[in-house]
Amino acid sequence: MSVHTLMFGWEYPPKHLGGLGVACQGLVRGLLKHGAKVTLVLPHGEGEGDEGLNLLSPTETQRHTVRVKSMLQPYDSPESFSKRVSLSSIPKGGAGPLYAGDLGAAVHEFTELSVEMTKDVSPDVVHSHDWMTFGAGAKAAHYHHVPFVAHVHATELDRTHFHPNEWIFAREREGFMKADHIITVSQFTKNILIREYGISGDKIDVVHNGTTDAPQIAPITTLQETHPLILFIGRLTVQKGPFHFLEAARIVHAHLPNARFVLAGEGYLLPELIERSCSLGLSEDVIFAGRVTQNEAKSLYARARCFVMPSTSEPFGLVALEAIAHGAPVILSKQSGVSEVVSHAFHIDFWDIEKLADCIITVLREEPLALQLRSEAVHTLHRLTWENQAARVLSVYDKVRTRF
Amino acid sequence: MAPLISFYFQVHQPYRLRDLRVTDIGREDIDYFDHEKNRAVFRKVAEKCYLPANRLLLSLLQTYPDFRISFSLSGVFLDQCEEYGEDVLKSFQALAETGRVEFLAETYYHSLSYLQSLPEFCEQVRKHAAKIKMLFGKSPQIFRNTELVYSNELAHVARGLGFKGILAEGADHILAGRSPNYPYRPPSFELPKDMQAIIRKHRTNANEKRPPGRGRTGKTQNGPIHVLLKNYRLADDVAFRFSDKSWVGFPLNAETFTAWATASGGHCVNLYMDFETFGEHQWEDTGIFEFLKTLPRLWHDWGIKTATPSEVIDAWLAPHRTEGTGAGGEKETGVFDAHTFVSWADIERDLSAWRGNRIQEAAFQGIYALENAVKETNDSRLLDIWRRLQTSDHFYYMCTKYWNDGDVHKYFSPYESPYEAYRRYSHALCDLRARLEKCRR
Repeated sequence: MSVHTLMFGWEYPPKHLGGLGVACQGLVRGLLKHGAKVTLVLPHGEGEGDEGLNLLSPTETQRHTVRVKSMLQPYDSPESFSKRVSLSSIPKGGAGPLYAGDLGAAVHEFTELSVEMTKDVSPDVVHSHDWMTFGAGAKAAHYHHVPFVAHVHATELDRTHFHPNEWIFAREREGFMKADHIITVSQFTKNILIREYGISGDKIDVVHNGTTDAPQIAPITTLQETHPLILFIGRLTVQKGPFHFLEAARIVHAHLPNARFVLAGEGYLLPELIERSCSLGLSEDVIFAGRVTQNEAKSLYARARCFVMPSTSEPFGLVALEAIAHGAPVILSKQSGVSEVVSHAFHIDFWDIEKLADCIITVLREEPLALQLRSEAVHTLHRLTWENQAARVLSVYDKVRTRF
Repeated sequence: MAPLISFYFQVHQPYRLRDLRVTDIGREDIDYFDHEKNRAVFRKVAEKCYLPANRLLLSLLQTYPDFRISFSLSGVFLDQCEEYGEDVLKSFQALAETGRVEFLAETYYHSLSYLQSLPEFCEQVRKHAAKIKMLFGKSPQIFRNTELVYSNELAHVARGLGFKGILAEGADHILAGRSPNYPYRPPSFELPKDMQAIIRKHRTNANEKRPPGRGRTGKTQNGPIHVLLKNYRLADDVAFRFSDKSWVGFPLNAETFTAWATASGGHCVNLYMDFETFGEHQWEDTGIFEFLKTLPRLWHDWGIKTATPSEVIDAWLAPHRTEGTGAGGEKETGVFDAHTFVSWADIERDLSAWRGNRIQEAAFQGIYALENAVKETNDSRLLDIWRRLQTSDHFYYMCTKYWNDGDVHKYFSPYESPYEAYRRYSHALCDLRARLEKCRR
């Protein structure tokens, strides 16, 4: 008998291309490959859910999408979500006046309708993705008398550099407490739950995200180009560490005046970052590429002599796997989940700017090192498929159902 | 008759590198090595292994007059004794004074120089032999190359340098069903003339003439060389599996082990292992010291003899120990034919632990490329630094063959990753290059 999971998600491609939606879709597809039955509930606004359905591949026909009316407009991008939530809460804490009201009401409605929408479903387990859906999941699980699994893709603390919106923090913690079991996307995130939310490690399993990136390493043609390119891709927010990238760039530049530093992505820190790069005397050497398309990103990865992810707190960090898939040697913050699965890389503490710069310089100077990082790291991608990771989720289901 | 049991313990500590930065390169008199770390490791191992194990061995040697053991102490280990542990050195000298402990020869810097430069290799062997002679009063007769890296050609080089025996891994693919418990010989062939010339140059000081009257070959300086093979099954039962609860042999007691050893038959059971097995790899609470303590008593009671590698060869050549063929029968010494390199590392037993990937190869080629430039300076400090960078551990730390993603595992290294090992090493190389450049100008 295949297991039937009732999932509560918040975003799903193509409407949202944040990490959460991508991971959610990967997991759903992985579960379907194993023959699991998946009912996915999404809170799309009117008419917003059809694209999601159209995206389904034939094998996903088992999946039903139940639409819940919501006051909330889908986020236009993860940036604005992060900006709204964190900016409104950093100064004072508590529910911000501008957006949290909307978000709160949407979450409330999603929770209220969760049973109503799913009462004809007979799941074996309820599985919620991040805090917005925890209330809905807990309520539905209670109604169906099945275990409730909370999946943590990111915490409020990651997004806000440990200055959380207290209301969201409380919703998260409540969800963790109510959950029969928790899945985190990394040991790093598991540790945050234990340390910051006081959750017992016994009820947390780590299932790292999978990847759908197939290695596409182009033949090496440009290793010794005159202007070696060092790449940062990510939102320009505190969490992603763009300032650390700039500080490291200053040191690298002093040794390698020809090096060029590209920051691709947008975010509220852009004006400050531009100012900072000028005051560091790097205005000629740092390029702000803005938001890049998938294809533009690919060509940047392929040209990059080194990709840097200096995040201050990164539950996973899918972007590193994309960089690896396209043949860029990577330097990863230890404060990231992805560093747990990519060992053919340099791992640095995000605050250790000098070490970061030293690693960049070494990768640029030592061709055998760059070539080896490039050729070895891709093996991670072969192992880290969504099918493999979904199998781990299924074994978590087995465990909680036995105990329930 | 039960086979002889021959213990040899490897003792070595590398000079680990400090967290060098690119800003250090070209700075005046920058030190590459992490003395704090090296001292800390040395003292830790001294307290857990060297000192207690040597105390035990000394008392065993005093109690059982027939008990024999042998050591190979790397030159860089002996250097560290001078820096960090005179007490440790003295404990080895106390063992030497019993006259029942043999000290083997190796490359001073625990290097893989043989793979790259014969003159450099010979100089290191000579330097090591002189050090052993100075500290322990005897020139070594038996050679063991770093990590038991071995080949036919190396055996002939060692023979040319005056050694009567050389150690190697009893690798299955070479033994092809034969027992490792016999001395073997390399296939006979002449080394190229240029190699012979280099060897001749170093032989004179490296080794005194063989002591006379020791077997049939004692009379000629360039007698045949015998290869002694590690019985890796039995040796690894102690070194690796002793405390492994999932192993069928667990818990291993001295009686069982002795029964296995004698049952394996042949002329000699060669138990070669890292000395750190006692107290460091296998902690004291595993009972490893008790195990070691029981063996000589048991062997004494059961009439089982121990021998040093030299004695193993002497006994093999002595006419009265012919066995299997009846009295007076001629013993055939089999051929151990290693036409490619074997070592005692990993399951591959080849060179891939040190030269298995791009960064290892870059580092390896990088350091040996400096040989001429270093030697031209006639600067003994630079020479010493260059040689300390040849220690095989540096390359071992860069090994990635078991560096499985997500599995930060049993792999033992002072650094965070093989890439960190390379980062530090490549900075050291860059700086050394810069220094040599300066000397040239």
